[in-house]
Amino acid sequence: MQLKPETGTVRRRLIAASCTLLTASSARAQEIAKLLADIEKTDWHLDSALAYYHEDGRIMAVEPVVNLSRDYGDGGRIGLNFTFDALSGSSPNGALPSRAPQTFASPSAKSLSTARHTYTTGPGQLPVDPNYSDARVAVGGEWQLPLTRLTRTSVGGKFSYEDDFLSASVDASIEHDFNQKNTTVSVGVSDENDQLHPIGGTPVPGSDYLLFEKTGHKSKNGVGTLLGVTQVMNRHWLAELNLSADRFTGYLNDPYKIISVLDGSGGMTGYLYENRPDARTRRSVYLDNRVGWNRASAALSLRYMTDDWGVRSKTAQLRVRLWLDGKNQYVEPTLRWYRQTAADFYTPWISSLAGQGPAYASSDSRLGAFRALTYGVKYGMKLDERTGRTGSEFSIRAEYYRQTVENAVAAPGALQGLDLYPGLQAFLIQVGFSY
Amino acid sequence: MKLRVWFVLAVSCGTALASGCGSLGVKPWQRDLLSRQDMQLSGNSVDDAIDDHLYFSKEASSGGRSFGGGGCGCN
Repeated sequence: MQLKPETGTVRRRLIAASCTLLTASSARAQEIAKLLADIEKTDWHLDSALAYYHEDGRIMAVEPVVNLSRDYGDGGRIGLNFTFDALSGSSPNGALPSRAPQTFASPSAKSLSTARHTYTTGPGQLPVDPNYSDARVAVGGEWQLPLTRLTRTSVGGKFSYEDDFLSASVDASIEHDFNQKNTTVSVGVSDENDQLHPIGGTPVPGSDYLLFEKTGHKSKNGVGTLLGVTQVMNRHWLAELNLSADRFTGYLNDPYKIISVLDGSGGMTGYLYENRPDARTRRSVYLDNRVGWNRASAALSLRYMTDDWGVRSKTAQLRVRLWLDGKNQYVEPTLRWYRQTAADFYTPWISSLAGQGPAYASSDSRLGAFRALTYGVKYGMKLDERTGRTGSEFSIRAEYYRQTVENAVAAPGALQGLDLYPGLQAFLIQVGFSY
Repeated sequence: MKLRVWFVLAVSCGTALASGCGSLGVKPWQRDLLSRQDMQLSGNSVDDAIDDHLYFSKEASSGGRSFGGGGCGCN
């Protein structure tokens, strides 16, 4: 559903209408109206932000984002976006803390003894690769085209590049308005292809970490579909319901994640590379709402997602915008709650007593059971009068994110008393500018 | 099974929305609040993109609002 934002269009048309009334020459007023409309139609709108993200004791990232959009007024629209990420710091490698020091090789190594770069984790500490760094460049575009007065189609594409990862995706959708444009139904499909070129090669899933069995590059492919209904409920309330499903096949492992192998007393006997299934199907139900009043508005979204790996998640997010100073400034507190169950093959460690290891296994905490809370606040200041352009704004946003592990398995023998599930704490600072 | 229940609920809601649209909605001149930038579903596109990337890299679930893609190798 594309509702026209409150821009200077109305104001300019009112000015033009006033001209029509106030001047004897209606032809002259029409010229003015046409000129203003042309200016409005040819304007590009800029949305930009610079985000700084920092995890407690782990990675930090700096992410500039630039979105450019041009609205043609007849339902046509072009959108372009550019994102750059620079990440550095320490990233968990999946192994558990131990009572003894643990030494690992950097991903490019061919063996532990000949590795040019190794890192050692002290007793009781979570093993993290302290030399993690990565950079990502992502560009995307979307073109929406009116087919009829009530029907629009859009096509889009995204491309993302990292040293060890390349992703390209395309999507297409069509939407139709009903009921005096109070109801919009949309359906879309997407296709994604990812190429993985892990540093040092792609580990053989489930292989012994110390054998460094690695192969060439791998790929994964995904297709998705999305069905959406947007409904104006009343003058104050807009709702959207989306059903989506996607399926990815191919190499779905994190090539840098390993799993500790423990004996019966909790002693570390080795490490295996993780091994995930080579297909994953996800389905989700997503409900989004906007509720507005004269001096405030609220955005409430709910999502339920499940997949055939056994992960089920629930998400609820609330943003409340409070307008101040005659709607020239606003404050927007945010609260997000998230909870997920563990994947069927998630395991913090593998027991050496089990003989042949499990068919699939990953100790990646992102596949474990946890809940997460995000608290945040955003402040925005309208700059329309200063820049002379509607939609101009400066904003600053701060968020705090905390993950807490649930259903943790008790530590065996020697590992009792160690913090095997430290969770995650992070904060985000973002400065934005729109013009 | 649980998903099936959710889907049935969601489809029912969608059908109810579609069939009940006659009594829902507003007239064109009643869209003053709905046309505000903060009432647009995609009105926070930059914030949403940054949040989606953050949660995509830290949680097992992502998407729902729109198509993903162009993500990172962080699984």
